[in-house]
Amino acid sequence: MSGYELRLRAPLAARLDLSRVTPQNLGNLSLNEVERLPLPYGTARVALGELFEVLPASEGVLLLWGDSRMDFVGAGLASGDLMVTGAIGAFAGARMSGGRLVLGSDAGEGIGSGMSGGRIDVLGDAGARLAGPLPGERIGMTGGTIAIRGHAGALAGVSMRGGLVLICGDVAEGAARGMVAGTIAIAGTLGPQAGAGMKRGTLLLAREPLLLGPGFGDAGEHDLIALQLLVRRIPEIAAFFGGGVSGRARRYVGDRLAGGQGELLWLY
Amino acid sequence: MNLNGVDIRDSFAEAFPMAGTRLVITADTPRWARTAAISLTGFATSVIGCGCEAGIEGEIAPEDTPDGRPGIAVLIFAMSLKDLKKIVPARVGQCVLTSPTSACYAGVNGGPRVPLGRALRYFGDGHQIAKSFDDRRFWRIPVMEGEFVCDDVTGSSEAAVGGGNFLILARSRAAALNAAEHAVDAMGEVKGAILPFPGGVVRSGSKIGGKYAGMIASTNDAYCPTLRASVESALPADVQSVLEIVIDGLSAAEVAASMRAGILAVCALGEAAGIVAIDAGNYGGNLGPFHFKLRELMA
Repeated sequence: MSGYELRLRAPLAARLDLSRVTPQNLGNLSLNEVERLPLPYGTARVALGELFEVLPASEGVLLLWGDSRMDFVGAGLASGDLMVTGAIGAFAGARMSGGRLVLGSDAGEGIGSGMSGGRIDVLGDAGARLAGPLPGERIGMTGGTIAIRGHAGALAGVSMRGGLVLICGDVAEGAARGMVAGTIAIAGTLGPQAGAGMKRGTLLLAREPLLLGPGFGDAGEHDLIALQLLVRRIPEIAAFFGGGVSGRARRYVGDRLAGGQGELLWLY
Repeated sequence: MNLNGVDIRDSFAEAFPMAGTRLVITADTPRWARTAAISLTGFATSVIGCGCEAGIEGEIAPEDTPDGRPGIAVLIFAMSLKDLKKIVPARVGQCVLTSPTSACYAGVNGGPRVPLGRALRYFGDGHQIAKSFDDRRFWRIPVMEGEFVCDDVTGSSEAAVGGGNFLILARSRAAALNAAEHAVDAMGEVKGAILPFPGGVVRSGSKIGGKYAGMIASTNDAYCPTLRASVESALPADVQSVLEIVIDGLSAAEVAASMRAGILAVCALGEAAGIVAIDAGNYGGNLGPFHFKLRELMA
């Protein structure tokens, strides 16, 4: 399987849909075929070669020079590595089911929308609706892992149904709204209105949640074996919380106003 | 064949196919991990009367258990996968879920899935929590003490073998018991096999049927020293006591390895320790498809 590097010839003048540009889709194409691949660009379709200089790269790898007008980068990725340099637009990794997507800078809204597997690393900030559903859909991320080095925008984990999201920075308002399952670990500050309408799922917090809504009740301090199990199965979580997770946590349950039994665990 | 003065009789152990699985039980302390394991494997000596056969396979160091706490591995066997699927959740529910600080994890990855938390979660009455990581699902079931954590399912093996055995023929009760204890210690080092009877040893080996209607099994009179004058005895005149060791394993290879380890330990004691012969229990070779021939095993 061939690997390619796509170098942007000039800053984009319109939105570019890159949902077909994945390592597995390009891997079986010759360089000429890659250059002729039509891409939705604004209201038209243009050949990939008009926008990008195409160079050979390591097998199974796709290197991409980003632009904030690029949408659906890595969408539908099922295998292989897609590495992006620079900021990109919306819905990176949407409906991703495998492989690895590395975003070297900030990314727009909807990262990992409807994602079911694989891994996304974002070395900058994430826009709104991280791991949520695609527009017009109801089910957010169901599996896989997303790690955000920076901050996350509003409604992170909205309608999430599974998988793991790690956010090193702060999270804006409305995190985990309508969350049904899955785990979100947050090292920074949790914004207001978190967990509204939350049914199930877990938020792991390094800092005390000070802005919880009235639907959350304090279930007290606990020594949870499940946390010990979690950090042993996913050592990245232990490292995420500074290397030491004792199993001690303060548990908040909600959103009781919506009959939910989601949980926020403050790992103090 | 003679090993250190011990006659290895030209006989074979006749064993049967079973379905089996391994569970890993952890707790805050080794004491409570073992307590749960002992309870789980209690009254599980023979499928004839207990519905399953089970035993402790060994200890697991905290660094090797799923949650980093002291652990015990147990093996459970039943005559069919269907039986195993009934007996495992029933025993875990009554003996591990109830035991302080315990958790229960799958010890076999492949093979047909046997329910653990998938069946026990209902005890949580709607408050149970499922967590999936790396394609493995766990349940957190709230209990008065905190939470019971367990795998959703465990794998199993339908290539398991039950009823491997050998008999220790000795000059005295003390000599037979001493030899059996040495054998059990040596066999404990073999992974994938357990000895389901008390302390790993059976004093009441059985034959099929009996004179009374409805008896599935009755005393193995040919090996009862006190019946030497009453029945066609298999015992020489100098044998006063016989003990049997029964082995179940996740595969025939593990049963064979366990038998060999046990017989070697007995023969190491030898004639000087009052051991006369090693024999094995079988039904003429017509019932069980697995035949562990003693002389081939020890060659």
